[in-house]
Amino acid sequence: MVLDLERFTVPRTGVLAVVGHNGSGKSTLLRLLALLETPTEGEVLFNGAVVPRRAPASLRRRVTLVEQRPILFRGTVRQNLEYGLQLRDVSRTAANGIIGHVVEELGLQTLLDRRRHELSDGEVQRVAVARALALRPDVLLLDEPASSADRAAAGALYRALLAERTARPFAVCIASHQLEDAYRWADDIRALAEGRLSPVTPENLFRVDLPAGDGVKSVRVGSVEIVVMTDRTGPAVLAVPPTDIFVSREPLPSSARNVLSGRVIAMAVEHRGAGVHVRVDIGGVELVAAVTAEAARDLALAPGNAVVFSFKATAVRVF
Amino acid sequence: MDFLAEGFRRAWGLLVAGDSEVYGIALLTLKVAVVATVVACATGLPLGYFLATRRFWGRRAALTVVNTALAFPTVVVGLLLYGLLSRRGPLGGLGWLYTWQAIVVGDVLLALPIAAALSAAAIQGVDPRIRRTAETLGAGPWRTAWTVAREARFALAAVITAAFGQVVAEIGAAMIVGGNIRGSTRTLTTSVALFTSQGDFGMALALGVVLLTLALVVNIALQLLQGRGGG
Repeated sequence: MVLDLERFTVPRTGVLAVVGHNGSGKSTLLRLLALLETPTEGEVLFNGAVVPRRAPASLRRRVTLVEQRPILFRGTVRQNLEYGLQLRDVSRTAANGIIGHVVEELGLQTLLDRRRHELSDGEVQRVAVARALALRPDVLLLDEPASSADRAAAGALYRALLAERTARPFAVCIASHQLEDAYRWADDIRALAEGRLSPVTPENLFRVDLPAGDGVKSVRVGSVEIVVMTDRTGPAVLAVPPTDIFVSREPLPSSARNVLSGRVIAMAVEHRGAGVHVRVDIGGVELVAAVTAEAARDLALAPGNAVVFSFKATAVRVF
Repeated sequence: MDFLAEGFRRAWGLLVAGDSEVYGIALLTLKVAVVATVVACATGLPLGYFLATRRFWGRRAALTVVNTALAFPTVVVGLLLYGLLSRRGPLGGLGWLYTWQAIVVGDVLLALPIAAALSAAAIQGVDPRIRRTAETLGAGPWRTAWTVAREARFALAAVITAAFGQVVAEIGAAMIVGGNIRGSTRTLTTSVALFTSQGDFGMALALGVVLLTLALVVNIALQLLQGRGGG
C-alpha cells in the first residue's frame, strides 16, 4: 500500500481516529507510527526528534501497536501478558499487579491459562489489547480493535480504554472503517482514502442528547426534528444510512415518520456511475441520500432543486 | 541367505561381547558428528534467520548459493578440503589432514548449507506478525529472533536432525580427508565400506546396526528436547 502524506500528527494526549476503507493505507500508517517500518521518503518524528532507521528498542517501547488481526505467542494468555513486562524488567509482583488490573478491565479472568488455539478471534483481540495496555505505552496504536467483537464487546473494549486514559493520559490512535465508532470514541478524526488524507465526510451522523423514556422519541438536530425509536437515553450518536432515505419531489403519504423538505446542494456520482449521492440542505442541516443514477434522472435531481427526504424512525441507528 | 544370517549372527555377537574396536569406532563417529552438528547449527541457524528476515542487496543470490550447496557431493567437498589441508595446500600448516578434526571440518561444510537453507525456510514459514508483535512489545533483535525461533521450533528441530543425519551418514569427505586410519579416523561409514570390500560381512553389518542405533538414539533425544506439543 502506498501512503502519500504531507504531514500526520498524533497528539500527545487524546484519541485520534483514522477512518478509511480496507486498503486505504491505515495499517501501513500505523506500522510507520509504531516505528516498525521506515518510510521510503520523509521521516518519522517522536517528541520532535527524528527516529533513525531501525528504531532502537528503547524508542519502540514507548509506542505499542495492536494489529488488525493480532497474533498471540505460544504459551498461555498469562505468558503473553507477561512478555513485554519481562522485557522491561518489571518485578514479578509489579507485573502481577498490572496484569490483574488489565485482566479485570478487559474481562479476561477466565482466559488466563488458555492457549491461543483455545480462544475465539474476539478473545484474541481483547488479550492483544490487554497485552499492549499492560505496557503503559506513551502511544497506543489500535488497528480495527473491535473488528472481531460484537457491538457489546466493542463497547466494553472502548470503555476499558477510556477508563485507562482517565487514570493516565496517553495518546491513542485508532484505525477503523466504522465512522460511527470513530465519532463516538475519538476526540478527532482523520480520513484516509487511497493512501492520502481526505476530508472527513461524516454522512448523516449527529451527536444528540436522547430524552428519557422508551420507544419513539423526537430529538432536535440543529433546526431539524428527527424521530427515532430507541430505549437509550443521554448522549448518543444518530446515524441515518443514506440508502434508507427515500427521495421525492413532493411529500408522499407513507409510513415514514421523518419527512424533511430541503434543497439539493450537490450531486456526486458513485459506484462507476450506477449510484448518485444527493446532498441536501434541510434548514441548515446536511443530509445525504443514495439513489440510483436512473432514479436521479427520473426525478430530474439537480443542485438548487427542492426535494423531500423521507425515512422511518426505525431506520435511524443509535450508537 | 546363509551368508546374510551368518552376518547377523556375527553382528549380534560383536555387539553383545562389547567388541572394543566396534565401540571405539562408534564413539569416534558420535564425537565427530556431534561436534560438526553443533558447529554447523551454531552458525547455520543464525545465518538462516538472517537470510529469512533481513532485506539486503544480494539476498536472493545468497539464498540460491546456499540452496545449491545443499546438493554438493560429499566427495567433492572432501577433495577440495584435501587440497586445502594437504601439506602443500594453504592450510597445510595446521597438520589436520588424516585427523578427526579434518573430518569435522568436511562435515561442517556439508551440514552448514542444510542448517542455513532449511532454517531459512522454517523461519520464512513463521507468521510475519510474530516478529512485528515481538518488536512492538519492545523486544530487541535477539529476543525477537528467539521469539520467532520458538514458533518454528518443530521445523528447527527437524533442521538439526537433518544436519546430524547428513554428518553421521556421510562417507566421501570422511574417507578422503580422514583416511580411514584404524584407531584414529575410522568412522562407522568408512569402516562399513572397508569391511564390506574385505568380505567381512558380519563386521560390516554389525557396524551398520550400530550406525542405525546411533541415529535412532540421537533422534529420540532431540524429540525429548523439543518437549511436548501444543500452542
